[in-house]
Amino acid sequence: MAKEQIHKDIIIIGAGMAGLTAAMYAGRMNLETLVLENGLVGGQIANATGIENYPGFISVKGSDLISTLQQQAENFGAVIDEFDTIQKVTLRENPKIVETEEKIYLADVVIIASGMNRRKLPLPEESKFAGRGVHYCELCDGHMYQDKIIAVMGGGNAALDAANFLTKYTDNLYLIHRSEFRADEVTQQKIRQNPKIKIMLQTEIKALHGDKKLESIDIFDKKSGETKNLAVDGIFVNIGVVPNTELFKGELQLSDGGRIIAGENCKTEIEGVFAAGDVREKEIRQLTTAAADGTTAALLAEKYLANLGNRS
Amino acid sequence: MVKVYSFEACPWCVKVKKYLDSKGIEYEVRDIELNEEYAKECMQISGDTMVPVTTVDGKNFVLGFDKAKIDAMLGI
Repeated sequence: MAKEQIHKDIIIIGAGMAGLTAAMYAGRMNLETLVLENGLVGGQIANATGIENYPGFISVKGSDLISTLQQQAENFGAVIDEFDTIQKVTLRENPKIVETEEKIYLADVVIIASGMNRRKLPLPEESKFAGRGVHYCELCDGHMYQDKIIAVMGGGNAALDAANFLTKYTDNLYLIHRSEFRADEVTQQKIRQNPKIKIMLQTEIKALHGDKKLESIDIFDKKSGETKNLAVDGIFVNIGVVPNTELFKGELQLSDGGRIIAGENCKTEIEGVFAAGDVREKEIRQLTTAAADGTTAALLAEKYLANLGNRS
Repeated sequence: MVKVYSFEACPWCVKVKKYLDSKGIEYEVRDIELNEEYAKECMQISGDTMVPVTTVDGKNFVLGFDKAKIDAMLGI
């Protein structure tokens, strides 16, 4: 059976901070707005246990912040579909086409806010141990490691926050990073004051061992040049993110890092196509700048639609 | 009866439950955080240390949110 064709003023790809902010603004401007999300509503912050640098909140759980924002967007009429996976986008036609598993959407504007995914552990054994000792979601899988030995890999804010969070399950946690911490000073202080965390800087994980589940890892100390084996039940990998731009290869110009090239006005090289949030190539990527991008993209999208003169 | 081994704060667990709701499928939530027995059962079923685990009979299961696999298992 042929897929149903549906027209929308705006399709927003991605329901993280940028996408949902754009949806809220677009909804407020009475634009017919659909948000499609292939992963988690909330994107990277869906897993965040405590956000302390979003204005107006002393500390807020990512899931709470996002569910409020989702409610705001939906209250203004935006529709969010997190179950109909996008298969293909065609952006150089007007209207633009977004084909999902179930439908073909035609849209005058597409705002790409597809964000980033966590980088996988670059070791050949990763696939053998994924879900069996190698994890990417502390909030989901941490509970399975009650009183076990956990390692967290990474040196940014997300990694350090993950390490702190996981000490609610264990008193025995290694925080392993190949260089020096990149996290902000406040977060580093929390880590250094946590007696359950053993910090191992200038250290790389070289190999994973185990029969059916992870049992130990080989770590290389860059200072001493020594490699040793460490008994570990689970590793939570937090070694950065990669842009979620697979769908747009060949359609849009991407930077060397794989992000979409667009200016501070979020306009891409294609009229009516905007890039917002962490997926856009830019110097600063924060929750606040994602919200700012979502705002900019939605407001300029409305102007573009007004000039087009064919709002639904 | 479909069983979803999960816990409340787990975002992928929430997604699985929302998906089952959207399809009108009844299920029993087995909260691994509130009940250690459920946590052990969950690991026995999947052999993995991950949630959510969705199962109909304790043998066939789907790990995480995988729409195609859930659809196939439940005949949706």
